[in-house]
Amino acid sequence: MLLTLTTFIPLFGALLCLLLPKEEEGLLKGFAFTISLITFATSLFMLGDFDPTRWNHVVDKEWVAAFGIHFKLGVDGISLWLVLLTTFLVPIVLCASWSSINKKMREFVVTMLILETGMIGTFLATDLFVFYVFWEVMLIPMYFIIGIWGGDRKLYAAIKFVLYTMVGSLLMIVAIIYLYIRNHDATGLWSFDYDTLLKVVLSPKEQLLCFGAFALAFCIKVPLFPFHTWLPDAHVEAPTAGSVILASVLLKFGTYGLLRYAIPFFPDAFVRCAPLLNTLAVIGIIYGSLVAFAQKDVKKLIAYSSVAHLGFVVLGLGMWNVKAVDGAMIVNLAHGISTGGLFLCIGVIYERRHTRKLEEFGGLATIMPRYFGVFMVMTLASVGLPGTSGFVGEFLTLVGSFDAYKHWGQLCILFPHPKALTGVATLGVILSAVYMLFLFQKMMFGPLSNPRNRSLRDLSARECAYFAPMIVMALWIGIYPNTFLSDIDPAVQKTVTEMTTKRQVMVADGELPKIVGAPAPAPSPSLEPARQQEMPPLPPSHPELH
Amino acid sequence: MDFDFTQFSSVLPLTALTVAGCVLLLLEAFGSGRQRAYLMPLTLASLGVALVLELLSWGDATLGYTTFHGLLALDRFSIVFNCIFLIGAALTVMLSPAFMREHHFEFGEFYSLVLFATVGMMILAQATDLVTIFLGIETMSIAVYVLTGSFRHSPKSAEGAMKYFMVGAFATSILLYGMALIYGAVGSTALAEIARQAPHVSQAPLFIVGFLLLLVALGFKISAVPFHMWAPDAYEGAPTPVTAFMATTVKAAAFATLIRLVSTAFSRTELAYGSSGWASILSWLAVLTMTIGNLGALRQDNVKRMLAYSSIAHAGYLLVGVVAIAVVGVEARGPLVYYLVAYTFTTAGAFGVVAWIGSRGDERLMIDDWAGLGSRHPGVALAMTIFMLSLGGIPPTAGFFGKFYVFRAALEKPTLIWLVVIAVLNSVVSVFYYLRVVTAMYFREVGREAKPLRATSVSAALLIAAVGVLLIGILPTWLVDVANAAGFAQ
Repeated sequence: MLLTLTTFIPLFGALLCLLLPKEEEGLLKGFAFTISLITFATSLFMLGDFDPTRWNHVVDKEWVAAFGIHFKLGVDGISLWLVLLTTFLVPIVLCASWSSINKKMREFVVTMLILETGMIGTFLATDLFVFYVFWEVMLIPMYFIIGIWGGDRKLYAAIKFVLYTMVGSLLMIVAIIYLYIRNHDATGLWSFDYDTLLKVVLSPKEQLLCFGAFALAFCIKVPLFPFHTWLPDAHVEAPTAGSVILASVLLKFGTYGLLRYAIPFFPDAFVRCAPLLNTLAVIGIIYGSLVAFAQKDVKKLIAYSSVAHLGFVVLGLGMWNVKAVDGAMIVNLAHGISTGGLFLCIGVIYERRHTRKLEEFGGLATIMPRYFGVFMVMTLASVGLPGTSGFVGEFLTLVGSFDAYKHWGQLCILFPHPKALTGVATLGVILSAVYMLFLFQKMMFGPLSNPRNRSLRDLSARECAYFAPMIVMALWIGIYPNTFLSDIDPAVQKTVTEMTTKRQVMVADGELPKIVGAPAPAPSPSLEPARQQEMPPLPPSHPELH
Repeated sequence: MDFDFTQFSSVLPLTALTVAGCVLLLLEAFGSGRQRAYLMPLTLASLGVALVLELLSWGDATLGYTTFHGLLALDRFSIVFNCIFLIGAALTVMLSPAFMREHHFEFGEFYSLVLFATVGMMILAQATDLVTIFLGIETMSIAVYVLTGSFRHSPKSAEGAMKYFMVGAFATSILLYGMALIYGAVGSTALAEIARQAPHVSQAPLFIVGFLLLLVALGFKISAVPFHMWAPDAYEGAPTPVTAFMATTVKAAAFATLIRLVSTAFSRTELAYGSSGWASILSWLAVLTMTIGNLGALRQDNVKRMLAYSSIAHAGYLLVGVVAIAVVGVEARGPLVYYLVAYTFTTAGAFGVVAWIGSRGDERLMIDDWAGLGSRHPGVALAMTIFMLSLGGIPPTAGFFGKFYVFRAALEKPTLIWLVVIAVLNSVVSVFYYLRVVTAMYFREVGREAKPLRATSVSAALLIAAVGVLLIGILPTWLVDVANAAGFAQ
């Protein structure tokens, strides 16, 4: 019930917003903000009575009986903090859009709230059909946010965002249906339930194809190099609220999906593909950093830095030991806070100056001291200074990846050694310091040469109010990550162990899938001959004709 | 040869509609100009009566039986299809009066023709004999040819009707030829008898050629590529409510026939597989139809023509479902039924909005005319968005669940994975042009001021369609059960 409430309060709020008069912008904003705060408060109840290694607060309602589709929600250590990140950010984003959205306010709050329902639902779903529905549902509001409130090239950016995501997700639904049918072949039951499908072991060839479909959908979302090209466009054209949500939450679905679905479902295929994933991740780290350094548009710079940061997450997942994966999940959260915060900072300055060109700024530290402080914390968090959120995750990821050597004894020669990859990835940390400090220096220090910057206002009380919790979180993750790790670590350990168990079940190509934990001679032999037949011959005369 | 009047109970809806059509024709001829306003409500009422009669026979049709010496069947499959036709016809009729008034072609026979076409479709859905199939196709087609050309001032309408008629007549002759050859090989026109004889004649050239000709003729009717050339012109030229009628019910009727043929008369494995097997042929037709339909739609700036191509593409997705019958068995008819219901609501709604947007002889079909509709007419823009998302297969709409259902059936055996992958890639392409409409409505500044049709019946039709699309998308259970019942039809 708790999870149903958390998921649908925003949607319900959105429907109520439609009933409010559209001229009453203040009322609409206040109402939507209240709804998002209520959602956040509700979501905090998840923390009570929480066991990170199992599904908590489970909701299970039959949806489409004929197909075994259940409306199933649950939360465990992996999804908990991502859900809280979502519910935490939406009120902040709504507050940040208070004055920057100047048209169609009602439509704006409605799409934001629908988007929130989609995001929460995707994290909480424990039935693959429900997961897919929420996954697609959040696509359309984002498309509207970019398309209606976006910048000059918004049409291009919006449609590119949708098409990139659709290619991946439609192939993913094919793989989901395939897995569902193979589970039925092996067990005779129709089910989209996460735990049920997790136990199905497909043959290596099937795994490779299905993993490919899942991983493509998630890698586009991450975005992993070379699927990242939609991201800078979407980020630059989206309004501040859209960029923040996109960077802080939507990108996390890629990494969350890899950890939750793609890797545990198809472990053999993952082991075979991991070197490729890791290599692409490291290329993404270096490439993202270098390209970020070359940007003249501040927002684009941050967008490319996202490519680099998310590269660390994929690297951690690809190395697949507990430390690296824990680190990756912390980077997920830290990136949500720091990059979200940076986009908010850019939103603030864009609202005042209507430009994001780096060369227009300089010496802001003297006239905007509060802004300077906020910007500094977010920059340092993004760079990964010890004591801020960025440090813990990247450090854990790199340590874990370095250790991964013993797990990855026989690597394909084509792909570099994990120690080498880790070494190169470490360069990425330095590079991030280079481009972020470069940005920070250009904007904050030096003479206040541009006369148009002289009259800039410092942060207002409202802006301080929404930055304060972001700063608290950035420091909290950095100083006491145990709050988060104590939930994430057991869940990750469980997932890693389960995968090891699952890898011990061998299925030859062309064989029926096996079920992990099922009695040894798995499905009853009587089922098999019947299923091998291509098509049972129909009776000569069909009964319906008589 | 005993003649039993009780068997008329199985054709009661048909009879009711035929009588209603004749009465409407007389009213139009002898009624005075002012009284014509009641033609539309009367048509709706008769469609409603037929719908109720259909629903009442649901219980009797559990097992399915044939009447009139095996010429017509009454089973759940035909009942569901008849309901699709009646709903599609009702939505069409609701769109019509305002459209006809605004575009200055008062045309009283319109309603009778819609009813007669619907009767033809119902015969098709119930037909279990090649002769009744022919009867149904002709009854339906001739009425629709006239409807297509009913927009008398418009040269495009005349052109569309001419093309449709010529190609349709050609297809009919191919159909007849195929039937004749099959009769020659089997010695009977009854589908049951053909199914019984199929193992003996499946290698006979006469039979194979006849069967292929039948497929070609039906390919014309469902506008499968490469037999689709007439469709964009006919759809664009016809008055928009008629286009809605053609794209939904006429297509559904042709599919009903195709589905019944492949799941009864030609259900033998040896007829489905192999180089001249229908499953192999239809799977290639499906690929062509989806791809060319979508590529054609990509290039259109005219929304009506874009939707015409999109309806060709949807015939391709449906063909994937028909091919699944070969692999999975008759239960794969369930997904097709569901898809057609979803598609009928969605397409009728989309063409309804196309009909709604123009007035006073100005049809406003170009996509630029749709710019800024989102801020001027938020309700209709929202409805159109729902229809576009549903056509693109994005949840939580009926179109998504329909596609899911069809692909699920096709994936049940690994042989069709390639076909499903092509279908989903096509869906991505289709999302691009469906979203173009949404983009124009919401993301662009207001272009020409829209002067839409203002009529309660049009708004009601759009509302029904939009609510239907969402309802069967979010709560699909009951329709899935109905579709499964119709699919099995034991």
